[in-house]
Amino acid sequence: MTHTLHRSGDRESLKNDFVWLMYQTKGINDKDIAPKARVFIEAAEACNCINWGDVKSGNVLDIPADEIKAKLSDQSRLRGVFVSKEDVTQFVKRIKAAGLGISVVISGLLDQVQDICDEAGVKPHTINYSLGVWGNKAALPGDDILAVTTMCGHHQVSPGIVEKMVDDIVEQRATPEQAGRELGRLCPCGVFNHVRAARELDKMAKSRPETTR
Amino acid sequence: MVIVDQDLCTGCGTCIPYCSVKAISMGDGFVRIDPRKCTDCFVCVRNKVCPVEAISKGPLETFYEQYRHLLSDPTETTADTGVPGRGTEEAKTNDVSGRVRRGEIGFAIDMGRPGMGVRMSDVERVARAVTAAGLVLEPGRVSPLGKVLADLGTGEMQPGARDLFVLSVIIEGKCPEARAKGVLQALQQVSGEIESVFSLGLIMRPDREGEFSGLNILDGLDIPRPHRGKVNIGLGRPLAEP
Repeated sequence: MTHTLHRSGDRESLKNDFVWLMYQTKGINDKDIAPKARVFIEAAEACNCINWGDVKSGNVLDIPADEIKAKLSDQSRLRGVFVSKEDVTQFVKRIKAAGLGISVVISGLLDQVQDICDEAGVKPHTINYSLGVWGNKAALPGDDILAVTTMCGHHQVSPGIVEKMVDDIVEQRATPEQAGRELGRLCPCGVFNHVRAARELDKMAKSRPETTR
Repeated sequence: MVIVDQDLCTGCGTCIPYCSVKAISMGDGFVRIDPRKCTDCFVCVRNKVCPVEAISKGPLETFYEQYRHLLSDPTETTADTGVPGRGTEEAKTNDVSGRVRRGEIGFAIDMGRPGMGVRMSDVERVARAVTAAGLVLEPGRVSPLGKVLADLGTGEMQPGARDLFVLSVIIEGKCPEARAKGVLQALQQVSGEIESVFSLGLIMRPDREGEFSGLNILDGLDIPRPHRGKVNIGLGRPLAEP
């Protein structure tokens, strides 16, 4: 999967958006995952992770954390989101110190991720670089919509529902925060940054012509 | 395909905006699902968006229907690869798997992404272009695309798969660094010939000095240096290649 690689947006929008992923390798280190996953969750919760989940059971915006923890298994794949570089750094330090032997990936702006690695005392082993979108780009929705939809790389958050959330904000049926959380509920992995989404939705709502507000 | 119970559907249209590929539209008093577009991602069903529960999962009877669903619903897991979502690990476990080594460049060509969906005939067009340029595709045991290719060496698709429309699928492969520029040039060429889009990921290891000098293949190709990426921080064990 490359579902956290191609988050779109300008630098200002992306600078508070970091995804972490815990990954076991099939046939090599894929046993006794549940206790290791609990260590990841404890670290995430201690470091102000705003959303996390296990694709097999859902994310904490949609399901109580205890329910996700109770369903952990060897098939669990945990992911989550931070909005602060300092919090990610502390998270990486904790995971490194735990010595679990499970692959860890941090997705974000490369200069910021490098800072995190330097501060936490780890080195990038492999990088998957995003070279953006190619092909029939004229058929894509606008950049403002993509900044929100691409936070669910499996595309469980559609452009249409983003537009509806903007309508709901304009017509005062929802706050930007409520709308962001509602969208985050649709992304089972737990990589959707609902805090960033709320900011983007608010910007879209405020940019609507006065007559439609 | 998703099924709409026309006796229950009130035609309220609540479900319509949830579909990423616009497969749901309003008919005469009830919504319709376009079978040529529905990817069986089941977002509408799983999230219970219908207020009267008129939408449900239809049967996935053929291999290709099951394959389309597997690629489009991230809560499913591909049996052979053991990986949920679109079933590939690419760089995420490279510290342990060692799939992309020093001197090699990995490609993750995420067809249909972001959110547009893609017909497999478009995927075949791109797969043929990159294999001709020297990309060696991953086999079906590690990458789901390999399961529907008739010839991994040429990117030829099984005839029965060509008309499938999926939310996204990843063309994964690697080549020696010396051939990577040619693969990028092939992608530049074929990107003007497809109906859909792809998002491109370039996977590499640092050189012995710790620099990601493989990025130099972008020089002269009018491709901006990337500012965002996914970094495997090397905590997996055992390490495949220190």
